[in-house]
Amino acid sequence: MLVVENTKCECGHQNAVGTVLCESCGKPLENNDISDLPLEMRYDGVARRSQKSNPSYIDKIWNFFSSVKIAIYLIVITFLTAMLGTIYPQENTFINNFDPSVYYEETYGLPGKLYYLFGLSHTYESWWFIGLLVMIGTSLVICSLDRVLPLYRALSKQQIRKHLQFIHRQKTVYKQTIDGDEEKWVEQLGAQLKKKGYRIHRDGTALLAEKNRFSRWGPYINHIGLILFLLAILARSIPSWQMDSYITIPDGDTVQIANTNYFVKNEKFTVEFYTDDELPDKLKGTARAKLFETKAVLYECESNCNDQSQQPVLKEVMKHNIIVNEPLKYKGLKLYQFDFDTTPRLNAVHPILIDKQTGEKYGPFDLPMKDSALQHKLGPYTLDLYANYMEFAIGDNGEPTTLSRDPNAPAFVFTVKGPGLDPDGEPYMYFPMQKDKVKFSQDAINHAIADKIEIRVDGMENVDFSEASTYLNVRMDKALPYVWIGAFFSMIGLLMGSYWQHRRIWLRVDDGQLSLGAHTNKNWYGMRSDVAGALQKIGITVDPKSLDNGGNNA
Amino acid sequence: MSLVDFSSDAFIVAFFLYCFAFMFYVIAIAGKKWSNRDPIQHEKRWGRIAFITSSLGLASHLTFFFTRWAGSGQIPTSNMYEFMTFLGMSIMIAFTIVYAIYRKPLLGMFSLPLTVIIVAYASVFPQEVQPLIPALNNYWLKVHVTTAALGEAFFAVGFAAGLMYLLRVVDFKGKTKEAKRSQFWVEFSLYSIILIVGFIVAVFAFRGMGYEAEFIQQKSVIDSKGIETTTEETVYYTLPAIVKPYNSDTVKFDSFLGMSEPIFEAPYWMNGANSGRKLNTVVWSIIAGSLLYGLLRLVFRKPLGAVIHPVMEGVDAEDLDEISYRAIAIGFPIFTLGALIFAMIWANIAWGRFWGWDPKEVWALITWLYYSAYLHFRLSRGWQGHRSAWLAVIGFVVVLFTLVGVNLVIAGLHSYSGV
Repeated sequence: MLVVENTKCECGHQNAVGTVLCESCGKPLENNDISDLPLEMRYDGVARRSQKSNPSYIDKIWNFFSSVKIAIYLIVITFLTAMLGTIYPQENTFINNFDPSVYYEETYGLPGKLYYLFGLSHTYESWWFIGLLVMIGTSLVICSLDRVLPLYRALSKQQIRKHLQFIHRQKTVYKQTIDGDEEKWVEQLGAQLKKKGYRIHRDGTALLAEKNRFSRWGPYINHIGLILFLLAILARSIPSWQMDSYITIPDGDTVQIANTNYFVKNEKFTVEFYTDDELPDKLKGTARAKLFETKAVLYECESNCNDQSQQPVLKEVMKHNIIVNEPLKYKGLKLYQFDFDTTPRLNAVHPILIDKQTGEKYGPFDLPMKDSALQHKLGPYTLDLYANYMEFAIGDNGEPTTLSRDPNAPAFVFTVKGPGLDPDGEPYMYFPMQKDKVKFSQDAINHAIADKIEIRVDGMENVDFSEASTYLNVRMDKALPYVWIGAFFSMIGLLMGSYWQHRRIWLRVDDGQLSLGAHTNKNWYGMRSDVAGALQKIGITVDPKSLDNGGNNA
Repeated sequence: MSLVDFSSDAFIVAFFLYCFAFMFYVIAIAGKKWSNRDPIQHEKRWGRIAFITSSLGLASHLTFFFTRWAGSGQIPTSNMYEFMTFLGMSIMIAFTIVYAIYRKPLLGMFSLPLTVIIVAYASVFPQEVQPLIPALNNYWLKVHVTTAALGEAFFAVGFAAGLMYLLRVVDFKGKTKEAKRSQFWVEFSLYSIILIVGFIVAVFAFRGMGYEAEFIQQKSVIDSKGIETTTEETVYYTLPAIVKPYNSDTVKFDSFLGMSEPIFEAPYWMNGANSGRKLNTVVWSIIAGSLLYGLLRLVFRKPLGAVIHPVMEGVDAEDLDEISYRAIAIGFPIFTLGALIFAMIWANIAWGRFWGWDPKEVWALITWLYYSAYLHFRLSRGWQGHRSAWLAVIGFVVVLFTLVGVNLVIAGLHSYSGV
């Protein structure tokens, strides 16, 4: 590319390579362009940054991303791949105990297996999807920069008297012979256009009327907003910027929020259902929740936070009744009501120990289902906790095991020392729930010791139950403010660009011959009616449609 | 008479006014060629009559909306019936705005039937007021649903204008490959619209006959602990069951034309609530729609596109192109605000996350990306007119899938809007 293109216009203005219309007088510059079809007015015909004669390596990347065609391809590829992700549920919709490598094949067969293998089960977290978003972001930045700067330059130094070719090849054109004073005629029309909100610039018998130039910046403000939005979303992958987990808290319990210094107490969970009167016939008799609420207390831990053997020192920081739509919010941490479970749960028992030989009772002692003390001293007896099962069962190998960490069938094994027992202690198995005592035949397991002592609960007042458990969703998102700011800018830009249009009217009178051309970036209908309306006011009636000079509605 | 009952009456009035307005718009356009009249005067006069009628219809529809709101104590956009009637109303609002700008009675000839079909489609769903579950009871939800629907309504008007453009410019006598292809797809679009009409006709016909069938479906659900439990669910059909629910037993089956048991079973991968029944409904829509289409073909003895094309003569195609573009350009910011931004605000309030890649959310994003691609295409050379009209038509299919299809095929958070 050693041939230097002559880009100097006949009006004397030196234009940059790639300029379509002279930046000064508007004359079409392409030598072979001798048609009289409407002009390509995008970006006012100025050269974009990407239109360099000798592109370097970086210029080539710039040029790739500056293309609107590439931007459209990226958008299309993104929405097509996004569609694929909705075929089956995504992995993140399952909360726990979920193995994607098995689930998809088991549930959906071969298509499910392929879906998993191609990584479509986590489409929106995949590197290629995020890569697409990053590329769209890059395209947004480069496309905008490539156009907005030259456009700004072109619009801020417009010449009033345009080349005749420029005017005659607009999409809205009007030609007419004028009798009488030309200057006065131009002034009259200018006054009418001013009433329509145009800014008038005059140069003798030439006139430029312009309005709503700001709407040209709409798309770029929109793009800035979108870039902010995308950056905010990408920032969420920075550790500790985002958290999304679930906790289960039975009534009355206090639970630590994993990876934080916070503890939450569920003081009371209540659920209210719609009564049959409030339900339509079809739904009568069904339990449709109307309101569920957790009375929650948030604590901040001051010391012994992660030490299991010691009680953490907690300081209350907030009390809040959590209901759907009204989370507990504290310094960016949010606790949402997610779900609940009204299955009663055993928290603690206060059993006594009976010496069967003497009939003497010792206790009661405190036995919580979780984190019980390791030793209990009851008169002459000592109970050492040997094992503790939450949901006791006999495993496949015949060994005792636990099925879950919820106290659905709790069991304790103590080593008991005391009068009449082996000095090294004898094992005693204790099931707090009567149903389990029978099911697993406690007395048979305990053999001889069952005749000497018994551990049992004396009356319901010695049993602590939770009536319900609440499921809370813990969330934290530090990127959120930036998301909203981005969305706000994007919206403002969209409104500016869509509901206002940049309209310009050029006219000049040469020896009684009026040439009028008008351009808008959108809504030609409005453009024509503006021109026809102003002409009407000074006594020239034209059908707005007749001003149309052909060409496309860009 | 309660307010809710009164609102139902207002709804019926609105429906009939829409039907009449449609006829008047047809008269305004097609009647221009009638003898002994000045075509311009005729269009002006009948255009005004039609616009007044459609505006009265809209007023009546608004009355329905607000009295139902007052009567039920909650905004009527919470189930499919209420949402679809609201969408119909939004289309009328969008149409009225676009009409106020362009004053083309022709636009009414295509927007009105669209509204009539959507409003009739809404009537298929149960109409009683249902109490909201807590997650749905929020101010932002109302704002989100209504704004999104209004944005979609402008896309609908863009679709109507796009389809009009195609009916205007496609050469229905052409024998070239290009012309044949255009003819086929225009015809296919019209056929698809008739399928929806077929669906409505089928539902109301069988409802009139009091048809019933009942199945018990075994559903296995894997709970959060990974334990599989099987539940039984009773599924009621009001259309003869050609397709029975997946893994189900027949309890009751009214025989129809000698058919006394279902022919097929729904595939296992259809996850939505009552998917078997929905698939059956789709099958019936195709049967009824095809019959209706066949009947129309018998009456006119030529493709429907070729029937409508002559009516469009003299209409400026470029105006249609611009109206379609303009409607979409007006709708796009509203859609962005309603379906994405307000939706994110609401999701953030209700679930604590502004975005969760729920299928409905993803499809709203797909719709948005689709229309942003459309708007960028308009900037490129060669994408105005014909191609752009097709994009507007396909775009509305994407909108409809987002609104109805997602609930039909895919289960997700929005599945409680239930079709």
